[in-house]
Amino acid sequence: MKQPNWFRRLALAWLGGLLLVAVFGDFLANDRPLVAQVNGELRFPVLHQYGEDFGWVDGYQPAVRNWYLQQPDWALWPPVPYVAGASDVKNGNYRSPFAQQDTGERARHYLGTDKLGRDVFAGLIAGARVAVIVGIGALLISLLLGIPLGGVAGFFGNDALSGTRDFWWGWSIGGTLGLLYAAISLLAFFQVTGFFATTLLLLFGFFAGGLLLASLLRLLPTMRRPMSFPADTFVLQGIELFVNIPGLVLLIALLAIINRPSIWLVALIIGVLRWPSVARYLRAEMLRIRGLPYIDAARISGIGRWRILFRHALPNALGPIIVVSCFGLGGAILLEAFLSFLGIGIPANQVTWGSLLGQSRSHPSAWWMALFPGMLLTLTVLAANLLGERR
Amino acid sequence: MIRYVLRRLLLLPLSLFLLSLVCFGLQQITPGDPVISLMPNDEARLANKDPAAFDLAYSRAAQTLGLDRPTFYFTVYNGALPDTLHRITRAQERAMLRTFTLQSGNWPSVQHYYHELRRVAYRLESDPAVTPIIRRLLIQDNFSNAATTLKGLPDRPETAALREAFDRLQSRDHATALLLPAFSWHGTDNQYHHWAGKLLSGDFGSSLVDRRPVSSKIKAAAGVTVLLNGLALLLVFLISIPLGLYTAGASGSWFDRLTTVGLFILFGVPSFWLATLLTNYFTTPAFNMDFFPSMGLGELPEYASWWTILRIRASHLFLPVVCMAYPSWAYVTRHLRRSALHELNQAYIKTARLKGLSRSAILWRHVLRNASFPIITLLGGIFPALLAGSVLIERIFNLPGMGQLLYTSAIERDWPIVITLVLLNGVLTAIGLLIADLGYRFADPRIRLSSPQNAAT
Repeated sequence: MKQPNWFRRLALAWLGGLLLVAVFGDFLANDRPLVAQVNGELRFPVLHQYGEDFGWVDGYQPAVRNWYLQQPDWALWPPVPYVAGASDVKNGNYRSPFAQQDTGERARHYLGTDKLGRDVFAGLIAGARVAVIVGIGALLISLLLGIPLGGVAGFFGNDALSGTRDFWWGWSIGGTLGLLYAAISLLAFFQVTGFFATTLLLLFGFFAGGLLLASLLRLLPTMRRPMSFPADTFVLQGIELFVNIPGLVLLIALLAIINRPSIWLVALIIGVLRWPSVARYLRAEMLRIRGLPYIDAARISGIGRWRILFRHALPNALGPIIVVSCFGLGGAILLEAFLSFLGIGIPANQVTWGSLLGQSRSHPSAWWMALFPGMLLTLTVLAANLLGERR
Repeated sequence: MIRYVLRRLLLLPLSLFLLSLVCFGLQQITPGDPVISLMPNDEARLANKDPAAFDLAYSRAAQTLGLDRPTFYFTVYNGALPDTLHRITRAQERAMLRTFTLQSGNWPSVQHYYHELRRVAYRLESDPAVTPIIRRLLIQDNFSNAATTLKGLPDRPETAALREAFDRLQSRDHATALLLPAFSWHGTDNQYHHWAGKLLSGDFGSSLVDRRPVSSKIKAAAGVTVLLNGLALLLVFLISIPLGLYTAGASGSWFDRLTTVGLFILFGVPSFWLATLLTNYFTTPAFNMDFFPSMGLGELPEYASWWTILRIRASHLFLPVVCMAYPSWAYVTRHLRRSALHELNQAYIKTARLKGLSRSAILWRHVLRNASFPIITLLGGIFPALLAGSVLIERIFNLPGMGQLLYTSAIERDWPIVITLVLLNGVLTAIGLLIADLGYRFADPRIRLSSPQNAAT
């Protein structure tokens, strides 16, 4: 299907706007003012909260619980002066956007409230942040796994990644054994705790084991024969194994057993489940690229093969990959909404588009809770699909 | 061809083996104690009243469940640990023993400490000031916490012995034992082997929640899901094959353009949103538009005529089937149109036209077969979608199918059911992919099935 160019621009603008809303969400919907003057002192409460969260500054003295009761001299409020998940008792029990609202001096709940008076607009902004985190996070992880694997498989195939037998056997077996030894014995012996020290020791185990076995094997004459690493077969078998795994069902099973759900974990799992599609597409693309004359020219000029792969072949394939992975972006956002709609995998106090939709089911006449999150979700998925459409 | 099918069928057990390993691993790391959840209630209640009797009942229950066996065929472990650690049935005590041994490397003294603890903890005459604390020490796997607790104990003859045992265990004189790795082969008498053997012989265990056998629960739910998906598939083919062919034949017309844009938008609308809107508006009295009965499959009156049954079922199934079908409509129609357009430009179509074949004969007889890849893809994907796709629709419309079963058992951590469903879905996914590959080959004999990837891309 051919889209007019401005369609694509519109889609790009929508996704960009979503990213901005996600990044600057705290300045758009917050229950603290952006700028306020209290007793002659100028304060920036929203910025100050960031400082407090990072531990750079101390909280205000005396502590301000509720900025509305604080009665500042003057204050500049965000467009939506509510924060997602905070209840407003006076406006509880599903207040429609057009109904009578008892907000006093504060702005109306533009898009209504839910049962506990939580602002839907603020919830939508918080949901945009979750959608962006899960979408981009899953996309990055699938690219991080899929690009090296698919690129190496397609570019080198089964016969171009050559070395000697001792190199491949030594590093694959010796490295694994070294890693294993470091994990079960060295970690206990040196009483290593903490993430960095553990990783360092495991890496040491891998390199020591690989180096040791490789140099030992070199002593055998048969091991010095050349051998190429069957990268393509390995990656293809991996893809095939992954394709046979029922992704969604496994996702539900995985997330249901996790005690402390978090959106980062959801992004991680979705990304890991999605790498085969990236790898498969990149592999096909690389098969095409490696036959192009400029790659031969580079090889004849004496450029190393890894350098050709990373500097010349991959950049050429990256454009199509990013376009195609836009589909993945839409899919990941949809999957996150699906999961939070079911109430799986996302923390209970986290407001997302899916959780708002899920809430609307218990009170069907609250049309605003079903309509707005669904519309945002649809527009986002449509925009991602539009960009992902192969030209 | 046959070699290809055989190769794929050989790969299937490997995939399933890996999947079963994943499931087994998930089962192992699930929080919660399977022994306690399967113990009779009156025995489980002993935990507070009579810990000694409870301990006995616990280890007996664990033995009947086979939890005193090693987990897998082999273990690779630190040489300081004994190879029979799996015989200690309580996971928390095992964790304590492992942590302490991995810190000191001195298994005999850890063992001595453990025996001392157990001797005091499960004596007949219990001492209210000491015994409960000792029982907690059995699962305390932190050195400094254990040391403080021991120091705080009142002075009794047995506590002195305990302190001495604890002091001995802390020394790192035998730490070099930690440097030796060990490997032991357990043979087939292990938990995984028994579990997988039961699965293979068709015994999927029973639900942890209501103790009904898993197979009967799944059988009861499968009918609804198959009905739902069958109707949806029928609806997809009835609508999108004519639509796709017609729009390809009349490409460029206003109808084609309208359909293309409409289907693109329809493809982007999440089905669970549409389903939520439909249930909110048309099945509840909230907006005075409750044209359809709400939720479930409907109650059938006794001795109902087939017409009544059909009417009730149809009114309950109409919305769910539409919601299941429409994303596939959009998918199949768009791809069928695209590949039909490609075929229409081929030379053989020109030949057919020159021969004087009618337009519909060309479309239905010649183009459809060559352009049927998206239909085959959908058919191959329908098996895994049986479960995955219907989770939401069944949940929203409250139909008692497999998707609903998966959801509720995942929430309740009813592992036997979840794992059976995951494995079942894995089998169906693999079979569906195989059928799709064979279907491609059937539609276009030029496709060579030497390697599966050629067919899939």
